[in-house]
Amino acid sequence: MKQRITYLLPPGTDYDPANIHISPDSVNITDTAEAPAIEKRVTAGLSELPAELRHVLSSIHELHIRYTSRQPYLAPSPLTSRLPPGLHVFFTPLASAPETDICPLLKSLFASPTQNIKCPSTPQSFSPIPILPGSERFAHTSSHQYYTPLPKNQILAFQTFLSRTFCPGTFRGECPNEIATLSFASYIDIDFDAISHAVTLTAVWRAGIGNPAARTPAKLWGGQDGGGLEVGVLVPQTADEAEEIKLGGFLTVVGEDEYPSATMFSFPSRHHAVPQSSLDIEPSFGISFQQPTGLHPKMSITFPQHQEGEKQQEGREGFLSPPKSEGACALHAYLTLPSAVFLDRYQLSDPAVLRENGLVALRSSSGEQDLEAPEWVVERWGSAALLELSPPPPNDSADDRGEWEVSVPLHLRYLQAANMTGGSEGGRGGGEGGEGYVDLTISFPAVFWACEAEEGLKMSTNPFDRVDIGYDGLFGPRTMFYHFSPATGGSSAGGSSAGGPGVGGGGMGSGIGQGVLESVIRVPVLEPVWGGLVAWGTFGAVVGGFGWVVWGLVRGMGRGKKGGVVKKTE
Amino acid sequence: MRTAVVFAAAILLRVGLIYFGYTDVDYLVFTDAARFVSRGRSPYDRATYRYTPLLAWLLYPTTWGGLWFEFGKGLFATADILTGWLIIRILRRRLSSEKATNYACIWLLNPIVASISARGSSEGLVCLLTVALLWATLQRRFIIAGGLLGFAVHFKIYPFIYAASLFCWADATHVGSVRHDRKDPNRPTWPDRVMAFFTPARRILTVVSALTFTLLNIAMLRPYGMPFLKHTFLYHFTRIDHRHNFSVYNTALHLDSAYQTSATGFRIESLAFIPQLLLSVVLIPLLLAKKNLPGAMLAQTFAFVTFNKVCTSQYFLWYMVFLPVYLPDSSLLWSRRGLVMLAAWVAGQAMWLQQGYELEFLGKSTFLPGLWVSSINFFLLNCWSLSIIVEDVGASMALRAAKKNDPKLTQ
Repeated sequence: MKQRITYLLPPGTDYDPANIHISPDSVNITDTAEAPAIEKRVTAGLSELPAELRHVLSSIHELHIRYTSRQPYLAPSPLTSRLPPGLHVFFTPLASAPETDICPLLKSLFASPTQNIKCPSTPQSFSPIPILPGSERFAHTSSHQYYTPLPKNQILAFQTFLSRTFCPGTFRGECPNEIATLSFASYIDIDFDAISHAVTLTAVWRAGIGNPAARTPAKLWGGQDGGGLEVGVLVPQTADEAEEIKLGGFLTVVGEDEYPSATMFSFPSRHHAVPQSSLDIEPSFGISFQQPTGLHPKMSITFPQHQEGEKQQEGREGFLSPPKSEGACALHAYLTLPSAVFLDRYQLSDPAVLRENGLVALRSSSGEQDLEAPEWVVERWGSAALLELSPPPPNDSADDRGEWEVSVPLHLRYLQAANMTGGSEGGRGGGEGGEGYVDLTISFPAVFWACEAEEGLKMSTNPFDRVDIGYDGLFGPRTMFYHFSPATGGSSAGGSSAGGPGVGGGGMGSGIGQGVLESVIRVPVLEPVWGGLVAWGTFGAVVGGFGWVVWGLVRGMGRGKKGGVVKKTE
Repeated sequence: MRTAVVFAAAILLRVGLIYFGYTDVDYLVFTDAARFVSRGRSPYDRATYRYTPLLAWLLYPTTWGGLWFEFGKGLFATADILTGWLIIRILRRRLSSEKATNYACIWLLNPIVASISARGSSEGLVCLLTVALLWATLQRRFIIAGGLLGFAVHFKIYPFIYAASLFCWADATHVGSVRHDRKDPNRPTWPDRVMAFFTPARRILTVVSALTFTLLNIAMLRPYGMPFLKHTFLYHFTRIDHRHNFSVYNTALHLDSAYQTSATGFRIESLAFIPQLLLSVVLIPLLLAKKNLPGAMLAQTFAFVTFNKVCTSQYFLWYMVFLPVYLPDSSLLWSRRGLVMLAAWVAGQAMWLQQGYELEFLGKSTFLPGLWVSSINFFLLNCWSLSIIVEDVGASMALRAAKKNDPKLTQ
């Protein structure tokens, strides 16, 4: 197994290589101002994996699993790409085995006895990824997609699987400790393709995690012939080109190098953060649901304009303006919606509806498209949507709240009551929701500017390049993404925040959504409590009503007869 | 003069509603389907389009853009007006022009009717077909009636119930045909009896309606294939109907669909067609059609809608259209009973709508008991009304005979 570990320090850090302590099988990094952001990448050849995994992978052409934590994090450069929190799976079967079912694999990785994931079989549950007309598709984009908003602590099932597989017989020590650190990861990627015959696991931890359990020393596994370990300590530098990222720092190959070697390199990057404004505040967005949500919840995406205190003279200039002066840019939101909720592609093709909601167009909608079916008959995971959002008109001073809000009209399917679904299938929150209600978790979308990149850019030379994240395949290969960071809680969304005030007796929303990248909406459901009473009550009503009408007919015939007799005798 | 004023008001009402009103989701479905059709594609490429392709073709002009988008609403509103005109034609058979116009106002100036068409629901077209069917039958134009019946069933299925009442009504008495077998009335042979039963009118009705229905379906099946059959007809056998609606069966259907394992073992809704068809296809046509065809058709439709497994407010139009042609013979008009019935119908609906609003827009879980109790209440109120109506229609022969104001009947 090959390891690559990268410590990413904040820009401007002046790091002394004397703090990199090298031993024959490990590297220890000390004296950083705060715990640095870390990327760990482990590559294993198929032969290094247990037989049952090898067997499953043998019928897969490509598999990309993207798990994103619900905890908000500041994305360290160059790891700026984002996905909606939850578990995303992008998959291509081998051409010779198109019916390959990877649901059992997903269940063995991510399901636990208490938390099932809704995945009856790949052909039923996965959805084909569309090819947008007019955009040449990424050559490597997967053919099928699946998503489930994994509930809280669900990554535990994955950790259990890993320790069972890779740390047999041990419950303490380096191996389980290494796996335990995944609890703190902001995202985890697993990649496999039949051509490289290797599985790569990449995990990223945000900067500033205080808990020592989140950090393990960089150590060569299985002694000297463990496949190698490369450790980098890197600091982002000011790039020479707008589309590039430049990193400087020190690289160490464990077991080979006695001293870290200084390095400075730059590369074109597909993903960037939206450049910060002069106020030095990360450009962000928040989501909330307009209350009451009813059966047609409306998700608001709010971009706050940070202008504390006196209003700046520059007004709205620079607020939500394209991050790139050359090439066209468009503001987008990518949503992955559990099957309990959907958007109506017909409604979102109506220019009036789009305008009213601050949307430009629904660029792509895939997955479950049924507009009527209840949740309990839907087998597909849900649907993915790429929406182009309209930025505020330039020099618009009408909005005194200093924020820009667009909204996405959604519709709920009818759901089964909470106790009928065996835990939290299909995106239910942890809460039962209470009598007559179910709590539905909706993850924050990914919100970004998509811009044309200069021709001829070789994005894939980026050693931290990240592809197969759902929306990238919906754009041409020469596209750059500038990401907004999702923000929770203290957004200026007014009275309409996720945990908004209750309505009626039910008490809408809940505290579950606070501080994590998801919103919880309370959905009314029909509880199966009075099943017998309803059946017999309805039966009684129908029989009674029928009898009543027949009695009316009889009475009428009686009166009619008298009349008829009168007529005959005329 | 008076008639002209009423029609002008009816037209103005609809123009105003189209101008200020909103657009129904169904209308977007129709116009999307029309767009598909205009591009040589199938209307069933539009999800949730569950109508005959003819409707999409009828709305072809909506694809021309601009103001033409409202063409369909104008068409449906025009159908309303034509329906009103036919209602007057039917009533003029035995009422003065003034009286006929007064009764037609129940349809022409009815805000519910006008708004349903103006927001783009196609029910106005179906109502035009059913009233035209009644008119043609009363005029003894059985070829036209058969054609209309076949077309109406192709268009919206439910008018098949009228086949029963028309067939019953078209006996020798009403058709007025003199039978040759009168020569030997004491010993009719069985072919004579059969021939007597299958009056020429009944034969024409059966053959023409079956032929029209079949030919239309073949014509639609050829270009649009299985999706046509699947969406216009077969869909109605497989639909779940779990979404809340006025039907008395709704809560039971919802429960059974969502919790199949916890069902009590007996499913009343799987037998729902029995009381529904028994009333609307058998009992009411047999007992009432000969006495008062408009009244029987009203009662049939009312029974069909009340006992249906799914019921939305648009369905109320189906029976409302027969009110103006039934009420002149009724003892209920302006009677206290009639007014109480109307008030109960409105109140029962309002109670349900209030619960539905709380569910749909406020997100309150009113499924049980709110919506269930409201739908049972509304159902029973409807049954009570229907009971009074069928009694009234059943007794109407006496009333009519006393009034002696139908020249055709006494000819």
